[in-house]
Amino acid sequence: MKNPDWLKRAAERSTVEPGMLGNVFGTYQVLEDCTAEALAEELGCTLDTLNLLALCRRPEGDAFIEQVKDICRRFDVTPSALVSVLRRVEVMDALDTDASNGETSSDRGPLLLAAKDRPRDGGRKP
Amino acid sequence: MKREKEWDLHERILGKEPTASVDLFLTFMDPLFRMLKRQTKCSDDDAHDSAIDALFAYLKEPDKFDPGKGSMSAYLVQIARYKAWDRYRSSSARAQREEKMRVQVEVEPPPPNVSLEEYVEMKQLVERLVRKIEALGLDDRDQACIRLIITDSRSTESWAEVLGLTHLPQDQMRQVVKRHYDRLMKRLKSLCKEDPDEES
Repeated sequence: MKNPDWLKRAAERSTVEPGMLGNVFGTYQVLEDCTAEALAEELGCTLDTLNLLALCRRPEGDAFIEQVKDICRRFDVTPSALVSVLRRVEVMDALDTDASNGETSSDRGPLLLAAKDRPRDGGRKP
Repeated sequence: MKREKEWDLHERILGKEPTASVDLFLTFMDPLFRMLKRQTKCSDDDAHDSAIDALFAYLKEPDKFDPGKGSMSAYLVQIARYKAWDRYRSSSARAQREEKMRVQVEVEPPPPNVSLEEYVEMKQLVERLVRKIEALGLDDRDQACIRLIITDSRSTESWAEVLGLTHLPQDQMRQVVKRHYDRLMKRLKSLCKEDPDEES
């Protein structure tokens, strides 16, 4: 299927839509200081697939695993790779909420900066 | 799109099925884009953005759509049209502001030590103030004095000339000028306080 003209634009817009996977990807890219291409490679998919993934709802709640599996089945992505991205952003969200006394800041403030200062391979297993 | 399919998609979205939103985009983006291009004067970019806005607006509050009141396509078309109109209005207002700024700057360029934005803002502020002063119905003499205040002319002689007080001895002239100055400043201050955020 030919990818539509609007796909990239919609995926970019999803980065500011809470509850969308695109929002998670946007945050992850800032945290890890990585490009969309690098994230696509991490997830083992093409850029076009990454843009389609961005338009999915963010998996959450009791059905988290089921929802991740649904997404991965449809777009042929490895679940562990997607879970790893989701968890990393979730942890930062939680820490950020604590740091701002229960208020989630939009720019994520010092924690995000601290995370960006971390060496690229610092948190990875060998 | 058939009603049953729309209903099914809506149910999936209400059920927070993660990939349903992708299907929403794949199903409705092209028809919404075509409709906006056909029915409005917007550019391709604006049509795409308005369609995207409409779909995200629906995704944010899917339960606002009542299937009993009409089809999902009609509902989304309505939101997209509204978004396109909103976008058109903001871009027209922006174009008008920019045109006004361009004309002002061409007619009377700003001094080198004032930025373009500051200059235009200052001019607009003065214009607003002048309109308010005109509405006060002041006599010619008071209007001339206010021009002196605006142009920052504080010399007693200029004021005395406008007020027709040049025949008075210097001390008395200064006193009367001060009285007029204070009176008018008080009026101007209360005028500015009336509606400090008023936009023209």
